[in-house]
Amino acid sequence: MNRKTARRARIKGGLTLALFFFVFVVPFVFIALQAVKNRQESSLLNFAWPSEWVFWQNFITVISARDYMLLLAYFNSIVITVGSVTLLVIFSAMVGYVLQRRKSRLNGFVMALVLAGLMIPPAVVPTIWVLQGIGLFKTIHGMILIQVAYGLSFSILLYRAFIATIPRDLDEAARIDGAKPWQIFFRVVLPLLKPVTVTNIVVQSIGIFNDFTNPLYYLPGRRNVTVQLTVFNFQSQFSTQYNLMFMNILLVTIPPLIVFIFFNRQIVAGMTAGAIKG
Amino acid sequence: MTGLKLAGVTKSFGAVDVIKGIDLKVEHGEFCVFVGPSGCGKSTLLRIIAGLEDVTDGTIEIGGRDVTWAEPSERGIAMVFQSYALYPHMTVRDNIGFGLSLARMPKAQIAAKVGAAAELLQLTPLLDRKPRALSGGQRQRVAIGRAIVRDPAVFLFDEPLSNLDAALRAQMRLELTDLHRKIGATMVYVTHDQVEAMTMADKIVVMNAGRIEQVGTPMELYDRPATVFVAGFIGSPRMNLIDGPAAAAMGAATYGIRPEHLSLSDDGGRWRARVRHIERLGADCIVYLDVDGPGAMMARVGGADPITIGQEVGVTPDPARECRFDAQGQAVR
Repeated sequence: MNRKTARRARIKGGLTLALFFFVFVVPFVFIALQAVKNRQESSLLNFAWPSEWVFWQNFITVISARDYMLLLAYFNSIVITVGSVTLLVIFSAMVGYVLQRRKSRLNGFVMALVLAGLMIPPAVVPTIWVLQGIGLFKTIHGMILIQVAYGLSFSILLYRAFIATIPRDLDEAARIDGAKPWQIFFRVVLPLLKPVTVTNIVVQSIGIFNDFTNPLYYLPGRRNVTVQLTVFNFQSQFSTQYNLMFMNILLVTIPPLIVFIFFNRQIVAGMTAGAIKG
Repeated sequence: MTGLKLAGVTKSFGAVDVIKGIDLKVEHGEFCVFVGPSGCGKSTLLRIIAGLEDVTDGTIEIGGRDVTWAEPSERGIAMVFQSYALYPHMTVRDNIGFGLSLARMPKAQIAAKVGAAAELLQLTPLLDRKPRALSGGQRQRVAIGRAIVRDPAVFLFDEPLSNLDAALRAQMRLELTDLHRKIGATMVYVTHDQVEAMTMADKIVVMNAGRIEQVGTPMELYDRPATVFVAGFIGSPRMNLIDGPAAAAMGAATYGIRPEHLSLSDDGGRWRARVRHIERLGADCIVYLDVDGPGAMMARVGGADPITIGQEVGVTPDPARECRFDAQGQAVR
């Protein structure tokens, strides 16, 4: 009976692994294979082994295409990601802290707004209209603010749940020690939020770095290009250079992938830390 | 000089009155213990003194200065929490010196003050550890150290020993009373444990349902409880309290006698009783009696007394130690 159960568990595990391999690894292998083929072979879009390896040549072509646009795109994406994640962490931790600690009649209303931010999809045209009105359309800082606005609700919910596990006695002890509210937040509470801050940084930066549609709508212009938009460089109406396009995809996929591989344990820890109140 | 003075302090949460008009004076250097059952308002009163809760009405003076609406840090108080409330990300040194660094005291001065407090509390070898690497007793001492460096006019303790095991609690009781003697500061200590109250206090404030039942020295409360509630709350095992016709026959609405003030004999006695149960504690034993008339009572007798369950005995109270209370529960002197 026991042996039977163990065997069944092994089969289930194997099937699950096969499924996830198919969903996650096969596409990645496909991208990597096309990226090292020449133009003719890659246009067949199959899993055949390349007859000649042109990894280095494709790499240089992609980097130097359109006056080193990929490097500019990397710079822009990093500025947008770092800027918006920094603001997201500070603002959402502050809002989460106040929502969790200071009970007032406004709390319900503010929570409804936060949840609305998660539930209601953003409207593109009115947003562009507002951005144009305040002179932030087609600007990097406008894009940063858009990313902050879109990511704020999720981060607030993560922080709020985590802050509930930090004893209120600590705030009060700091208050008696003479700390002002901002000192309590920055010197006592924020350092204790490290696990959930790591989660927030990783989840949000992967999302923002990988974002394709928002920069497409809100950040047009050749100088404003972000990494995901460089994929268009090798795709046109009548011909597409698949080998270069997949090399480009490979290059813009690697940074978030590395971040995810190194931090996935922390992501899970931070997501579940607020789940059970201590 | 008065250490602490409360005048007409009340606190309401919505329609619920939690503290119902407290007047209290704690002299400078006194060790004052607030004791009472859970939910009697003692912790709320301490938080009001600390400034963590606002009063609904009344005034608070610390060291002769009205601090009713002052910020906690400006009241000249320091507080030790039940959970210790140590900052987990800071070392012991930073925990103790945090308040001083907020006050922008020069680093050398902070180091000197932290060093002196650590010396006093035997924390010097632990200064570079984080709180998670300390035992319960050590954490407690760090929390006390954090209070000491502030040089407060009044120390406030909110059930500081309730998270410790029995042996450590006894040791910390001793350490706290020693500390009080050494630094001579005014201390206000909240506990629900009447043993802590009796062993540590210069003055005990017994609270019940948001009111002060009685204020006095431990022995005053023990010997002359002002109300039935105090009589029942102070002393372990608790005082025998009898009401109904048996009490009326002794000229009171409620009659009280402590177990140690009853003597048992084979013959005679004021009442006849049967032994229902015996708890042998070594030095003495607690005898549970079914007494003809008053009903169930407890008596404390010597540990070596040859008593057996079911035995018939005579029970006699010490007339000088009897307590009588009227229908309102107030002592009749």
